[in-house]
Amino acid sequence: MKFGLFYELSVPRPWTRESERTVYDNALEQVKLADELGFDQVWAVEHHFLEEYSHCPAPELFLTACAMVTRRIRVGHGIIVCVPEFNHPIKIAERTAVLDILSGGRLEVGTGRSATWTELAGFNASPDITKKSWDEFVRCLPKMWTSEKYSYEGEFWSMPSRTILPKVYQRPHPPLWVAVTSPGTELDSADRGMGSLGLTFGQFAEQEKRIAEYRRRIQLCNPVGEFVNDQVSTVNFLYCHEDDAIGVTRGRQMANAFNYLASQLTSVREVYPGKSYPSLGLLPQLRRQATGPDASEQAGEGLALGGPERITRALKRWESVGVDRVNFLLNAMEIIPQAELLESLRLFAREVMPAFAETKPAVAGGSR
Amino acid sequence: MPLSGHLDVAPIASRLPVLKDLDTPAWPLPHAEVLQLAWEVSDDTLALLPRAMHPAVPSYATVCVTCYSESPIGPFNVALVRLMGRAGAHPRGYVLGAIASTPDAVRALRERWGFPAELGSVALMRYHDQIRAAVTRRGEAILEAALVNPEPISGADVQYIHSVTLARLEDGERTGPLLVQVDPHYTFHKAERGRPKLYRFERDAWNAGPLTPLHPIAASFTACDTDLPQIRFVMDADVPVAQGTRKIR
Repeated sequence: MKFGLFYELSVPRPWTRESERTVYDNALEQVKLADELGFDQVWAVEHHFLEEYSHCPAPELFLTACAMVTRRIRVGHGIIVCVPEFNHPIKIAERTAVLDILSGGRLEVGTGRSATWTELAGFNASPDITKKSWDEFVRCLPKMWTSEKYSYEGEFWSMPSRTILPKVYQRPHPPLWVAVTSPGTELDSADRGMGSLGLTFGQFAEQEKRIAEYRRRIQLCNPVGEFVNDQVSTVNFLYCHEDDAIGVTRGRQMANAFNYLASQLTSVREVYPGKSYPSLGLLPQLRRQATGPDASEQAGEGLALGGPERITRALKRWESVGVDRVNFLLNAMEIIPQAELLESLRLFAREVMPAFAETKPAVAGGSR
Repeated sequence: MPLSGHLDVAPIASRLPVLKDLDTPAWPLPHAEVLQLAWEVSDDTLALLPRAMHPAVPSYATVCVTCYSESPIGPFNVALVRLMGRAGAHPRGYVLGAIASTPDAVRALRERWGFPAELGSVALMRYHDQIRAAVTRRGEAILEAALVNPEPISGADVQYIHSVTLARLEDGERTGPLLVQVDPHYTFHKAERGRPKLYRFERDAWNAGPLTPLHPIAASFTACDTDLPQIRFVMDADVPVAQGTRKIR
């Protein structure tokens, strides 16, 4: 099992001139330490307008900075919103290639389509077509990376023959992932030979069933790229403390803050009835976890909060249901002071990581 | 923490709908039709929202016009204007104004669920190219709006956000203002979606202060069986719901 970091870059009010800079500086320091400690990857989201929850609209810039201060850790662009109003496909191909070069072939590319009205309406994008545009984009992207000349005529974008430059550093190209929140999207990722980048905090039984179906389905996939990325990644919180009770309590404070902020988002499903967004994605579960007087009693099944032994048990359980990678959210609203957070990472690396032997290569078919 | 509302309840407490108790029985309401229209609205609405609630981001409001063809008090129509927000982590629509089409409906909505209902005319006109609503109060038009270009969708695609009303409970030691959650059930038989269009909105008539509808979001029209339910939760209007929520049943 591989471990990584996952950044939304939450910035609490009041917003001062320095508050956003501090969050970015803290995150870079964490990534630098994580690289030294042996974490395998760092992911950063693309979100827009999501007040306090995520101030990370340009993850490729943050990840470039990460790459510049690290030597080994892989950088995950997760996820690129594959909707034309947000990102033109040529720009996606170009800037990911630059990031792959600058990082020395350490790029992983997550794809998705946004799930909030806040973001989609902000870009004047129709929720009805995001799944279709995502599908078109992900079929094009590997060919744009690998073909000397590329031309395309499609439903959502077209281009005459051009040489898209530069080319990605990894050969044949970076691993591709799909953000999975709504049930069923893991099947989309399997059918296209893409990794399943889980963004929900689902429970073991449900995840086990979904992973099993992913594994079955990807055997028969028609990959969009030149290799199949059959990895399953999930997201978790992390706060590790020598004193289990302190770890659980502090960790829950952070997790509850994150869940509460996430629940404030205006999902597409809430305001725009239609088939394109059949579920609220991660929000229903987060709302259950974050609501009411009993919220503090619900740590959530399998969360990596507490002492090393408790966290090891939880992660072993995730490993047993078929998860290859776990990416950790480390903070929300800067609730965990930076010094404590860095110590949590050190303790995790010292006491938990050794219990997890490598079973799969970090790069599923790609090479540097 | 997310932003919270700024509404000072004390100055308006004496004008709030009065509940004698929280033992409101449920009303089954079969064969209803619901037109809901949503717009993003101006950002200056925090003063309308109770302190217990967070604003939606972006701020948005809904107009909800319902024809109840069968009820314990006979047929009636209701129009609501709601400022949408969050009660803790849950999406909720705070009811700013309500117009009901019969005196019995006005009385019941005020006394049983705390809706700030007033008497008026509420009309719902179903055409093939649009579904139109018109509301008057004291003979003056205060709302004209439509769902334009309706297209069929599945009822499973529709989600109605529960309402929150602000009322005054007069029940011995528990007397005082409170927020009442009104959370109907829905069984959908037909659903359509279209674009909302607003022809007239007299915001003062809806207690909507500076609220200005700006960017259209979506409109839906459904045929459904629904209800006005028993009261399950009430909340203190001035403190976060995590501390101020009381479960009634």
